[in-house]
Amino acid sequence: MTAVSIRNVSKVFNQGKPNQVEALRDVSLEVKRGEFVSLIGPSGCGKSTLLRLIANLLEASSGDVVVNDKSAAQARLDQDYGMAFQQAGLFEWRTVQKNIELPLELKGWDKPDRAARAKEMLQLVQLPEFADHYPWQLSGGMQQRIAIARALAAHPPLLLMDEPFGALDEMTREYMQGELLRICAATGSTVVFVTHSIPEAVYLSNRVVVMSPRPGRITKTVDVSLGADRNEDTRNRTTFFEAITAVREGLRGMHAAHVGLGNDDR
Amino acid sequence: MTALVVRAARRTTMFVAALALVVVVWESYRAVGPQDGGTIAGVRILPRTSEYAMPHVWDMFSRFGRPEVRGSDRTVFESVLAGAWYSFRLSAAGFVLGGVVGVGLAVLMARFKTVQRGVLPYLVVSQTVPLIALAPLVVSWGGKLEVGPFVWPRWLSASVLGAFLAFFPIAVGTLRGLAAASGSSVELMQSYAASWTKTLFKLRFPTAVPYMVPAFRLGASASVIGVVVAEISTGLKGGIGRLIIEYAREATGDPAKVYTAIFGAAALGLTMAGVVVAVDVFVMRNRPKESIS
Repeated sequence: MTAVSIRNVSKVFNQGKPNQVEALRDVSLEVKRGEFVSLIGPSGCGKSTLLRLIANLLEASSGDVVVNDKSAAQARLDQDYGMAFQQAGLFEWRTVQKNIELPLELKGWDKPDRAARAKEMLQLVQLPEFADHYPWQLSGGMQQRIAIARALAAHPPLLLMDEPFGALDEMTREYMQGELLRICAATGSTVVFVTHSIPEAVYLSNRVVVMSPRPGRITKTVDVSLGADRNEDTRNRTTFFEAITAVREGLRGMHAAHVGLGNDDR
Repeated sequence: MTALVVRAARRTTMFVAALALVVVVWESYRAVGPQDGGTIAGVRILPRTSEYAMPHVWDMFSRFGRPEVRGSDRTVFESVLAGAWYSFRLSAAGFVLGGVVGVGLAVLMARFKTVQRGVLPYLVVSQTVPLIALAPLVVSWGGKLEVGPFVWPRWLSASVLGAFLAFFPIAVGTLRGLAAASGSSVELMQSYAASWTKTLFKLRFPTAVPYMVPAFRLGASASVIGVVVAEISTGLKGGIGRLIIEYAREATGDPAKVYTAIFGAAALGLTMAGVVVAVDVFVMRNRPKESIS
């Protein structure tokens, strides 16, 4: 069962113009249902572009993108995925509850159904008492949890996340990672997660896909065998560090014998 | 809520204080300034302080209570109020018309980049046409217009000129607001497969509100100016503009009288702006307080 299947995809921006950029070259990737896959790499490696191709916010220049056994375009029309960005991007004129209801509203749900689902999602992200607050009354971490609730409101099978915790401080960030794993376990969602933090990618993922720039391509895939049950102790396990080392080596190419010094996770 | 009251009280105090300052400056100069004004090498650089050039502030206000013409039982206050009310209705019509045209143009320009490139320069040019020159033209075009039973009323020309001044800030402000939605929120709407219209109403218009409010405030005062100038230059009867010219003609014998009409026009503009501010407070009540204004 594959949730996302990318075959020989390339993406060129401004084709034929002087400012032509080859963002992705010949990328292939399969994401199984229920899997958590992170895309990691330096800026300009095309990880966000790849995510937007899956979301059908961009069209591939060549190759196929299949989401949920249909074309990416059809999957978008069917709202088969939910998306979360670095900026929580909540609508400041809507209450928290109305923000979560937005995708349901656009799907044409009735008001009582929307309200019931929003309440359910607020329970899931453990912020039920904030339904009538406005986003600007919430902390950054809480806003991001609401954004995740919004992304999952329509129960999409797939969750696409573009550096969702990138703007949060380190403590909030680790807390949010735990929350995300808990939420994913509860919903059984498939996740494609873009990040530039190595520990974050390793802690969350079943598989870390390492990408490199100019042109953007996949250079290495690291399987993370930390099991399903992850908690704060996971961060101290040898397997965790081994996976981090493997990802870091992938990011440095073949020149990375001296692992673990400097250039940490940025 | 209390913070709101405190802020309103502070603003009112400042407004009254500023007004009082103007009165003090006026009356002080009136008291110490030279009767014939200051002249250097035959050029007068300071205004005269005679009774005719600078009536006392209290004379201006007491003039409100006295009859409009000798022997009439209608006070100046009643006339000014009636005139201001008439002009207010014309301005409101112009403001609504300008608002509809302005927002409509902004939506079209936001939807079609070609329209924006083609139309925006002309909008800017349109505002450089002197209103005084345009007013008689609109009146004569309107006069020739007759569609079935519809006959162009004379007052409509004044409203149209008000709209002509009002639509511009509204169109520009709304356009800026419609374009202000962040890239990720537009992508979010795309990810929901939302149509352009849905995106317009659920995302772009709400985002535009903080930009539209000051634009509408400008539009409201602009429509008043348009209407008053149109009344003056076309001689339309009934409004505050007409009162200003009528009273100004009597300036030699009754210098305080024209100021009553000017105060009326100022009050009219403030009322229009006040209506928009009230709407502003209402629509922005749940927004973060440090947002743009």
